[in-house]
Amino acid sequence: MPLQGKILYDWPNAEIEEPLILSALGQLGTEPYDVTIVGAGVVGCAIAYDLSQYQLRVLLVEKMYDVGEGTSKGNSAIIATGFDATGGSLESQLVTQASRRWPELAHKLKIPFKQSGALLLAVDDEQEGKLEEIHDKSFTNGVDDVRIVNAAEAKRLEPNASSKVRGGLLIPRESIADPFTTSIAFAEVAMANGVDILLGAHIVGLQNCQSTVKNLVTESGYRIATRLIVNAAGLGGRDLADLYRGAPFDINPRRGQFLIFDKSSHSIVRRILVPLPTAQTKGVLIIPTIFGNLMAGPTAEDLPLGSPEATSTTAEGLRWMLSNASGLCPCLPKQPVIGTYAGERCNCKQGSYLIRYNDGYPGILTIAGIRSTGLTSAIALAEYVTEGLGEECDLSLDRDPDALDSRPDGCWPGWWRKPIDDTKLVKKNPDYADMVCFCEQISRGEIIDALDSMLKPRTLDALKRRTRVSMGRCQGFECRIRVAKIVSEHCDIPLDSTTQKGPGSELVAPTHEAIYG
Amino acid sequence: MDKRTNMNLSGRKHARVIIVGAGPAGIGAAVALARKGVRPVVLIDRASNVGGIPALCRKKPGAVPTFVSWLHGRALVGEQFVAGLEARLAETDVEVWLESLVVEIHAGERRVTVASRAKGKMDVSADAVVLACGSRERSVAERGWLTGSRPARIFFTKHLFDFIDVNDILPVSRSIIVGSDSVAYSAAAKLSVAGAGQSIMLDRRRRPQCNVFQKLYFKFWSRPKWHGSIQEAQVKGLGSVEGVKISDKKVLTCDSLVVGGDLIPNTELALLGGLEVRLPSRLLEINSANRLSSPGWFAAGNIRGGFHGAQSCYLNGKKVARSVLKHLA
Repeated sequence: MPLQGKILYDWPNAEIEEPLILSALGQLGTEPYDVTIVGAGVVGCAIAYDLSQYQLRVLLVEKMYDVGEGTSKGNSAIIATGFDATGGSLESQLVTQASRRWPELAHKLKIPFKQSGALLLAVDDEQEGKLEEIHDKSFTNGVDDVRIVNAAEAKRLEPNASSKVRGGLLIPRESIADPFTTSIAFAEVAMANGVDILLGAHIVGLQNCQSTVKNLVTESGYRIATRLIVNAAGLGGRDLADLYRGAPFDINPRRGQFLIFDKSSHSIVRRILVPLPTAQTKGVLIIPTIFGNLMAGPTAEDLPLGSPEATSTTAEGLRWMLSNASGLCPCLPKQPVIGTYAGERCNCKQGSYLIRYNDGYPGILTIAGIRSTGLTSAIALAEYVTEGLGEECDLSLDRDPDALDSRPDGCWPGWWRKPIDDTKLVKKNPDYADMVCFCEQISRGEIIDALDSMLKPRTLDALKRRTRVSMGRCQGFECRIRVAKIVSEHCDIPLDSTTQKGPGSELVAPTHEAIYG
Repeated sequence: MDKRTNMNLSGRKHARVIIVGAGPAGIGAAVALARKGVRPVVLIDRASNVGGIPALCRKKPGAVPTFVSWLHGRALVGEQFVAGLEARLAETDVEVWLESLVVEIHAGERRVTVASRAKGKMDVSADAVVLACGSRERSVAERGWLTGSRPARIFFTKHLFDFIDVNDILPVSRSIIVGSDSVAYSAAAKLSVAGAGQSIMLDRRRRPQCNVFQKLYFKFWSRPKWHGSIQEAQVKGLGSVEGVKISDKKVLTCDSLVVGGDLIPNTELALLGGLEVRLPSRLLEINSANRLSSPGWFAAGNIRGGFHGAQSCYLNGKKVARSVLKHLA
């Protein structure tokens, strides 16, 4: 078995355990890395996973304080078949390829995944006429198991769909997955295979671009030596590309807002309900989630890059989604909404799935414009660029015979395992029956397991994505402080220094003081 | 007290009456039933102590006596009121199961599934079940008019009590409080007494929801700056809360947001368990005899909707106990 990689936080003055804090470059070893991937979103993590199958020294660097923290967490969680993709593009090719592999991938990486199927619904004559066209397009895209259904069958498949439905297109393999676990699982296997992971490190400089060994400079001044650089920085990709004068591309983030309904609404739909796209919009989908909730969304709003509004919801957006979604499912507006969120799709003006080898300088790879399909395609994209790095950048690809391609059993078991149902486990560790999050029914034992898991999550949001604590209907009313206390006790972080998502998001305002003496 | 600590999680599979929630309403029902000779009565709560929300309001130097009850003409802090309830409970032979979470209910079979450290997961059935699960404060998304980003330091009033009274930490210095009922006002009072600056209060209403007497009472502790008739409030800040945008031109700055009051009954378990719940209000279907949609199920206290003080919930629990007795007879 290869030596397990390191997890380090570039988080000066953090109150977390010392071995997790990057305090000297020596912690990352003395040899330069063969490849450094900048950006630990789902794409960066998948590339790290794929490169970890070879005998290479790889580093995964991330600006934020967990993997999968940006675009990769705020999406629709759909594993697309690509039935409606623009045929012939690299995007459609990778999505189709990846979608067929997902059931196996999910099994190997222990990612919650379900082939829920999707139903495209036509609600008037004009839309009904278009079904045939989309049906044919699906076949051209290699999705040959779609089927047109009449109004009666659509109604039978989805009894709560609008009575206006004239017919639909059934896409049986369209699926849903846990988007958070996807990035985490890729990163964990990569780390088990020896990939080092550095969180909280914002790359602000690049030196010795011309030479074989280049240096990436982090905001806190560390110089990381590496032969190849993969820019998978998503929304930060342009800023990074400017450092090496990469060829022009413009990132044009598109905000997507979502509504989350309570678990009590879950049985309303069985499949993903998809409206027929119009010239203006792809429309609002109704999506059952793998967690047992129901979602409606997204919006599609173009915002300038770097806008602080990019992950902000708006009353107008939420109203628009609800009224649109009620067109497909009229009982939806009566259902209780428990949460809302907004994410940014990483759109690129020059087209999607922009991949450039030796961009600016030899040995630099730019990946940009990975839009909402990135969650599905990441695995295929990773293999595609690994091969490309071999051909274009002379990366020697020797398989590591000892590398794992599945998630080790010792990894964090995940929110779905429900240890409370296992009497033996509970007897061994009563913490599994000590319920902390009442809505999602997550125990103290599971929280501690997550904190001790490979990637050593140290922020409340990172913990939330692994365990689902405070993701439920009460949104932390009951458990927020108790969870913070468990983190504080278990990791020896003072309660007032626990953070939601890294420095600047302390649970307690910096000016606070202890009261009552 | 002994009864409490040994928790008597007796592996019981059947009880005469199960009461879910050991707040004032649950204790009221339990005490009344036990006094009438009903046994065994099992009172289940997920916390490590009885008393529910009022137990969070500690009597501390400078603390505000919010959640007051005027029992026999005396003003009591939540903690003191709960001590009285505990004493009454101790005189009965009610089985109190603490740190036990009801994870599922099964309306048709009058059965609940309980999870606890002591016993793991177990099923208990009963001849009657009283739901006294109380209510919680409506979250940002549930309010519908609060949008924006999701930074750190968005608290509920309950979190303030937990921080300030239980952990001796004042987590904020300048807060915006959303909502204007007496719970929201108690958040303002708690902050002001603990030493935070003047709070800002905003709501969709033109005038605060709190009645005149409550307002007069809270004025003694704090006078939050009022912004009414807000159409949409948008939370600003990426790491932690930095402000709230209340109109195209106006952004109020703060270091935290308190989502106060606007209580919503904890009826989700009931809904998932097969009892009738009205949507989207989430109110239980309750008939005049305090019965729910399935025979043998009852509800007491704030789970019935609205916001009632500790004593009124206690009295409601006692009243519901009479309906339970009729059912058992």
